[in-house]
Amino acid sequence: MSTQINPTNEANISRGTAMGTATYAAPSQTPDGTTEAAQRFVEIKIARRDNPDSAQRWETFRIPYRRNLNIISCLMEIRKNPVMANGERTTPPVWDMSCLEQVCGICTMVINGKVRQSCSALVDQLDQPITLQPMTKFPNVRDLAVDRSQMFDHLKRVHAWVEIDGTHDLGAGAKMSQEDVAERYAYSRCMTCGCCLEACPQYGGDNYIGPQAIAQVRLFNMHPTGKMTRDERLEALMQDDGIQNCGNSQNCVRVCPMSIPLTKAIYEENRETIIHGLFGWLKR
Amino acid sequence: MAINISKQFLFRKLHQLSGIAPLGFFLFAHFFTNSKALGGAEKFNDAVGELHSVPYLIFVEWLGIFIPLIYHAVYGLFITWEARANNIAYPYARNWFYTIQRTTGIIVFFFVFFHILNFRFGLIPGLNTTPVAGNAEIAFALVAEEFTRLWVVVVYVIGITATVWHLANGFWLFAVDWGIVIGAQAQRYAGYACAALGVALLAVGLNAMAAFIWKGGLLGSEFWGMYR
Repeated sequence: MSTQINPTNEANISRGTAMGTATYAAPSQTPDGTTEAAQRFVEIKIARRDNPDSAQRWETFRIPYRRNLNIISCLMEIRKNPVMANGERTTPPVWDMSCLEQVCGICTMVINGKVRQSCSALVDQLDQPITLQPMTKFPNVRDLAVDRSQMFDHLKRVHAWVEIDGTHDLGAGAKMSQEDVAERYAYSRCMTCGCCLEACPQYGGDNYIGPQAIAQVRLFNMHPTGKMTRDERLEALMQDDGIQNCGNSQNCVRVCPMSIPLTKAIYEENRETIIHGLFGWLKR
Repeated sequence: MAINISKQFLFRKLHQLSGIAPLGFFLFAHFFTNSKALGGAEKFNDAVGELHSVPYLIFVEWLGIFIPLIYHAVYGLFITWEARANNIAYPYARNWFYTIQRTTGIIVFFFVFFHILNFRFGLIPGLNTTPVAGNAEIAFALVAEEFTRLWVVVVYVIGITATVWHLANGFWLFAVDWGIVIGAQAQRYAGYACAALGVALLAVGLNAMAAFIWKGGLLGSEFWGMYR
């Protein structure tokens, strides 16, 4: 057995995975390229649920190890032949995926107890057995799939858009300082994945507008045209289950896969809501 | 245009404010009075007598202490009830502070309830049935007598430590909740300042307690430049 990895072969493997038709390295080839007699396996425990009303159960799977496996490719492998480690046949696990490069956010799940995207969770960097659970703060549709529509409702609640009236040409927009552009760019990277809400000790049962929506308020309140409806967004944040429910655990900013300064957004909006909400009447 | 805000927003902001003013500032005043015990029984009794002559005392006591205290305590329990602590999965410092703030809140709730019944009202049968309020001339003796029991000392060490932690971190929380300290670096510095304040307050609080056990407290009043 060769101890060298053929780069052409490696390229085929990654392409094959993305297409869902995997080409495998020889089973005895280990990550460092040395030959090993025993076949290595990846042990994965998945929290399964057949439908929203049924009970959750654990199923354990063992799949052959190969280099550069991520959680999505493991799940694809299991889906091809859904047989548990104990030999019992089961249904193929259900999960959501799309971009496979950590920009769409839909494959978010709880991996080894921490929320993250499964596409960028590499097996080589995870302790085994790997546990996969659906996010706990959103309704569980089936297996690892959750319904994240709460977050999109939050965006509607806070008017996370810029109003334009009519379809006629409004001309060039106002100039923004480079500093503001840089800060807004950070907030604009949000992919509504749900990591911040999953890790938030305050959030549960849709009781808090959450860091994701507050950061979008910041994004649009910093926009020269968006500013014109600033008060509407601020007042949306001050309703029941609004910005006041933040408990300052700051987990959101620690788990955000896009490194969005979520806590800065919350505290900027704390200042805006305090000035508008508590001292605003002094202007009248 | 009328400003549309929810009761929840107003109540939460009032909860945050009441912890600092008046309750936080009351703790400073309380530790100041207690520390007069470093100068001996007579100085402490005089200080308690001085408090009895605060004008409009009943309003000061109820509006400045009891009502804000009951509001902060009861609403704080509601907030704590909502918490879903997840420190094992997400063991970050601020997340621990989140859980500790709520844990110390519960400890302080029971401690302050006991403390007020005990010394303000003298309503703990078997321990103390004489209120310090109204009995300034025996105030020091009443407190010192209780501190001869080890369990009372333990309860007060735990209670004072929890109170000081809750207030020191509470200053930080107020600063971010009211949008005063916004950026990550500013928050770090504010955190150091609150930690230093907490250490100083804890030392002052425990030393005041020690003054009822050993004359002059832990190092003696002369150490702190107090004149006789």
